[in-house]
Amino acid sequence: MKSYKMSWRNLWRNKRRTLITVGSVFFAVFFALIMRSLQLGTYDHMFRNVIESYTGYLQIQHEDFWDNKIIDNAFSYTPALEETVLSDKNVSAAVPRFESFALASSGALTKGVLVMGIDPEKETLLSNVKGKLVKFKLNEENIESLKKSDIPEKYRENLDLYKGKSFVSSSSMMIEMGISVKDSASIMPVLRELSYFKNGYFKMGENSALIGDKMAAFLKVGLGDTLVLIGQGYHGTTAAGKFRIAGIVKIPAPDLDNKIVYLPVDISREFYNAPGMLTSLVLSIRKNDDSEIIRMIAALGPKIEPPLRVLGWREMNELMINQMDADSKSGMIMILILYMVIAFGIFGTVLMMTAERRREFGVLVAVGMQKTKLATVVAIEMFYIGLLGIASGIAAALPVIFYGYSHPIRFTGEMASMYEDYGMEPVMPFLPVDWYFLWQSAVVAIIVLIAVIYPVRKISKIQIVNSLKA
Amino acid sequence: MKVLELKEVNKIYDGSEVHVHAVSDVTLDFHEAEFAAIVGPSGSGKTTLLNLIGGLDMPTSGEIIIDGTNLSKLKSSQLIDFRMRNIGFVFQAYNLIPVLTAKENVEFIMSLQKWSRKERDERTFELLKAVGLFERMNSRPSKMSGGQQQRVAVARALASRPKFVLADEPTANLDSKSATTLLEIMEKLNHEEKITFIFSTHDARVVKMAHRVITLEDGKVVSDDKRE
Repeated sequence: MKSYKMSWRNLWRNKRRTLITVGSVFFAVFFALIMRSLQLGTYDHMFRNVIESYTGYLQIQHEDFWDNKIIDNAFSYTPALEETVLSDKNVSAAVPRFESFALASSGALTKGVLVMGIDPEKETLLSNVKGKLVKFKLNEENIESLKKSDIPEKYRENLDLYKGKSFVSSSSMMIEMGISVKDSASIMPVLRELSYFKNGYFKMGENSALIGDKMAAFLKVGLGDTLVLIGQGYHGTTAAGKFRIAGIVKIPAPDLDNKIVYLPVDISREFYNAPGMLTSLVLSIRKNDDSEIIRMIAALGPKIEPPLRVLGWREMNELMINQMDADSKSGMIMILILYMVIAFGIFGTVLMMTAERRREFGVLVAVGMQKTKLATVVAIEMFYIGLLGIASGIAAALPVIFYGYSHPIRFTGEMASMYEDYGMEPVMPFLPVDWYFLWQSAVVAIIVLIAVIYPVRKISKIQIVNSLKA
Repeated sequence: MKVLELKEVNKIYDGSEVHVHAVSDVTLDFHEAEFAAIVGPSGSGKTTLLNLIGGLDMPTSGEIIIDGTNLSKLKSSQLIDFRMRNIGFVFQAYNLIPVLTAKENVEFIMSLQKWSRKERDERTFELLKAVGLFERMNSRPSKMSGGQQQRVAVARALASRPKFVLADEPTANLDSKSATTLLEIMEKLNHEEKITFIFSTHDARVVKMAHRVITLEDGKVVSDDKRE
């Protein structure tokens, strides 16, 4: 009989014990994958929000600008510079920005804001401001209208939770409000119709602004209202201007949503008295994996004349990366504890299995089975336990993860406010299949391998006569 | 033809508190097709002697030579291989492999010796018929009586045509009828297969059937009666 076949039969000689052990591996893998997927998914989401809303993956700046964001650290944008960056095959566009701070005011309300001068068309390649324009908004008036409509009771009851909420698309509204696909056909047309928000955009040379949804709520302004900005211009000049609010955007990073004012880049330069200048040139890239970014920093760095330099997204988001590293480590400690519990469970099984089969091991070696072959049979048994546990754990985790990926957990109420206070979007998406799947499986496989050492060692040192007396 | 030779074999268990001379200066020969019983009171060294003959334990001094091979000269893995090819074992507690059927138990050693499927099947069917369990070939040990299990164990011991079979108290756990049936089968196979059987036993029926009775006392051979 082949070793693998014998191992398989041995596995089921004590079904309950095998199932309990497989079950422990299953739960370890299942929970580890879910926990890790949530954790990594949340990080990934936050990075994307910040990178895609603000920093981009690569920027060219004056060497002092990142540490001291004053417009005196702006630089001249020349055709030669544009040509240099576009010469890299991975750069699809060079997107100019001119950013600084100002005091925004409307009526009696005032707020410190981040003024970002952007190219309205080119910016769509990066932070896609156009895609973040609010399309639907649930204000008091349209919530009352919705309550009177014939939408199902379960959705009507929760409508107040979404008072003041804005949505950039019909699907985001559907997901955030927890509307099932089944119900969407009847509810969404009503919702879309009643909550439609007639938004606008701007063009280069237009004295208009787009502002964050939260900021608009704070300043109590809407489309067509005037926003007054006062700040310090280039080399100490005074910057002051009035801008028509052309659109409201919803930035997924709440902190940014609360303070962002977009102006066309030429208007922004004019406002700050810095014609022809930029504070950063953001590179729109085709491939955004880390190795490619490292290559580009190394390739572009020497080609750009000082005092300019190339910054990668890691350098621009160092604080966030450090915070997430610390959080990730605490998550890994939790998983480690989970694995420790599982390791002892597996080891307990191995101890029992070895003790109760001592006599059988003795008989098998007595009748002529080599110890190496016997050890192989036992190792395959453990391998089966590991494999069954890992495979079932992955099989059970996959649908949950894919569901969580397409339907992220969205917090509401106080929990949502708490998240937003920390500058995070109150959402916890899952990360789909990635390297962490392999890692979790590898860790369990290693635990099983370590557990195998005990019976293999016992078999190698077996004293047949003593074993036969067991 | 001589299949087994013991020359001044001694086995001493030398613990920190106990010093036991379990087998003392035993010199014996066994020939092809012998049906021998080793008898003696409990603690006389029967099982120890059988373990030494089977290469399951090593003598403190002396030589055990099977078909010209001195067991003491073999390395651990060589000894396992040697046992597989030359010695069959029947244990008091049957010791069949619980996850294998009767057929698989019988062909187990042949599989280890890499016999072909056809050869294995022929030999297994022949032996299972001989022990009267052909109809039960697909039963697992847990579904068989003690007597049936011991018959399968006999078939397993004979499967690869060893030089001799060592049976340690094979009838001790069996009822009278099963024990008699088993002994008749073993005697028949001994006659047909010309394989030497060496028993350690207390059972008078085994002694009665044996062609040779070796009596041990305090580890020493006190008598060696050969019967025609």
